[in-house]
Amino acid sequence: MSSTANAPKPRLAEAIASLGDTVSRLSHLSKRSYQNPYITLRQWPAEVRPEDDWFSSPEYVSLYGTPLWDTLDEPARRRLAFHEAVNFYSLNIHGEKGLMQGLAQRLYRKDLVDVSEYLHHFLDEENKHSIYFGGFCTRYAKVYRSRQFALEETRSQSVEDFLFFAKTMIFEEIVDRYNWVQARDARLHPVARFINDNHHVEESRHLVFGRQLVTALWGACVPSWGDDTVADLRRQLEQFFVVSWREYYNPDVYADAGLDDPWEVAERAWSAPAQRAHRRAVSTKVLSFLTEAGILDKEPADAF
Amino acid sequence: MRSDQEIRDLLRSWVLTKAPELSADGLTDRTPLFEERHLRSVHLPELLLLLERLRAAPIEVEDLRPGDFRDIHTMVDRFGGAGVTP
Repeated sequence: MSSTANAPKPRLAEAIASLGDTVSRLSHLSKRSYQNPYITLRQWPAEVRPEDDWFSSPEYVSLYGTPLWDTLDEPARRRLAFHEAVNFYSLNIHGEKGLMQGLAQRLYRKDLVDVSEYLHHFLDEENKHSIYFGGFCTRYAKVYRSRQFALEETRSQSVEDFLFFAKTMIFEEIVDRYNWVQARDARLHPVARFINDNHHVEESRHLVFGRQLVTALWGACVPSWGDDTVADLRRQLEQFFVVSWREYYNPDVYADAGLDDPWEVAERAWSAPAQRAHRRAVSTKVLSFLTEAGILDKEPADAF
Repeated sequence: MRSDQEIRDLLRSWVLTKAPELSADGLTDRTPLFEERHLRSVHLPELLLLLERLRAAPIEVEDLRPGDFRDIHTMVDRFGGAGVTP
């Protein structure tokens, strides 16, 4: 592997500084929409009826379009959609835990001082999202376990920063598509619609920041990274796509929905043509961004 | 339930799809997969899901140690039929 030890600090600082106007505008919007999640949580019902209401849009349930979906009656579909909503909120909780750790580590770091004001808002808003997600999961169900397990890896700071913000952006872009669709779906229970709508509104600011920062980091750092480093980064981002999507096909969900052989259900759903098409459609926007920016040179075939 | 040999073979196939620089001849049961960076942390959630499917039982992430994934032999020993705990 080529050396990545020397981060191009002046260029990186210049790239970060170029975000100044965006950071000011987004910070202003965050202050204007500052919220107290506990007021909302108090208004949620004490219990919900998973077989009577939709908590996920049926077209966004992981078995939709598969032969197994056709065998489920309406209450079973709603029950599955409820557990999928809990899984969706759980994977957001786990994703946001890592995100908050990464943001906190970067607060007031010398080369990131110019974006620290917005990092404060980012961190605050991610914590509040997790309060909503966690509030739903613990009041009505549980938090599904994560299969994330990190081994110690040595990377340069520039590679670490880029991977952190690029992975955050990929995760949030996929989630945001689900939020956007489900916030507008009048079939969904009002609490589910609220969670999706609130998350979409706030994530739209994070996505603007994420796209600009990832572009700036890439432009500043790629000249100093050797071909091997760039190839390695691309491979890791491609695999991150796969892993991000795999989490939507959680065997624990299928078991809780009463389906036999949940790992095989997950594997069949993952391989189903309708689900492959779904993943590709939902990923189109972020894939276009990554390829047009030159960050990826091909789509992550294993994800589709 | 799958035998340890079946688990070994399916793990081997999966590793080869994820580590294109490894040839079938170059991959042994003792090849250090993460130490030699054929696999990275970002592969672990998918690998865990595969291992759970192959042994048809969950794996508790909080009980894992980094060395559990050292090579194919170690994974089969740790998570294969003999390693399944109720």
